[in-house]
Amino acid sequence: MLIQLKKFGTTLISRQAGKEALAAFEPVLREATKNEKIEIDFAGVVTFTPSWGDEFLTPLQKRYGKSLLFRNTENLSVQATLQMLEEINKDKFVIKKLKNNE
Amino acid sequence: MSIKLISIGEAAKKMNISIDTLRRWDKSERFVAVRKSGKRFYRESDVDDFLKKADISTSDLFKIAEDWVSSKNPIEPEDIFYCQNSLIFQSRVIKFEKNLSEIPELKNTFPLISAIIGEVGNNSFDHNLGNWTDISGIFFGYDLEKKEVALADRGQGILKTLKRVKPELVSDEQALKVAFTEIISGRAPEARGNGLKFVKKIVIENDIKLLFKTGSARLDLKKGDIGLDIQKENNYTQGCLVLINF
Repeated sequence: MLIQLKKFGTTLISRQAGKEALAAFEPVLREATKNEKIEIDFAGVVTFTPSWGDEFLTPLQKRYGKSLLFRNTENLSVQATLQMLEEINKDKFVIKKLKNNE
Repeated sequence: MSIKLISIGEAAKKMNISIDTLRRWDKSERFVAVRKSGKRFYRESDVDDFLKKADISTSDLFKIAEDWVSSKNPIEPEDIFYCQNSLIFQSRVIKFEKNLSEIPELKNTFPLISAIIGEVGNNSFDHNLGNWTDISGIFFGYDLEKKEVALADRGQGILKTLKRVKPELVSDEQALKVAFTEIISGRAPEARGNGLKFVKKIVIENDIKLLFKTGSARLDLKKGDIGLDIQKENNYTQGCLVLINF
């Protein structure tokens, strides 16, 4: 399952908005089959913070573990936020390197 | 009453900026022109309003924020600075982010600046919701010419909010140090409190300077700093007062 974060906005900064985004997306997540990879696509996101990320990504990481993958994480605020969340949660994220045609 | 329109040349002269800048601002909707027979004109009243606001923003932004947090008779800040709730703050950060993205030397790093502004501002809302001491909401002002941002709140301050998770804290200096250095783990009893560690990381790794005041504590942080320079000050800051230069 592919989740395009830009569909939640391109300036993802507050806890409240991160929490609301996850709650709104729960019905779609329930459609994921067992062992299905959950891919988070950061393409198009301009500003990303640990507050938003902690409300949206941390619960997904706890739920899906290594089945949670990230792509298009080049934006500097995305990179800095992912590093910070890894430090806070003491758990590494899986960043998927894309081939040219993906 | 008729609306007086002036040419782009006259507007540029009055505002002391170039015609090209005005064209660019029109395109990005930062300062919109009126089209007449395909040419750009400006309402004289819009130009005058712009100059009034520019006067405020180019005066000492930090002083305006400081006066507001330290005022004994609190009133809401000027509309251009006042974010009464987090939704207003969010929309202003989006505008700020857009303006920053147009500065060529910040092409890659501007998301880091908007991210720390977002963290500092939302920190004020998250920690003070339902607990504002008098005026709810925050001060958020920026001057892109001087490359500075001022943020302030008249909330509880770092010590009082951190005491809820670390009751052993006794001073503003101690609390400010914890806020900027310790990962508050376990997420109990509340899921927040790590935003300022993120701010620190971004500041010390980039060409950014931060001044953070809360209660009697003051922190100065810049690129390359290893320890934290936290000082005790005689003047007391209610809530938080922050200046960011980039």
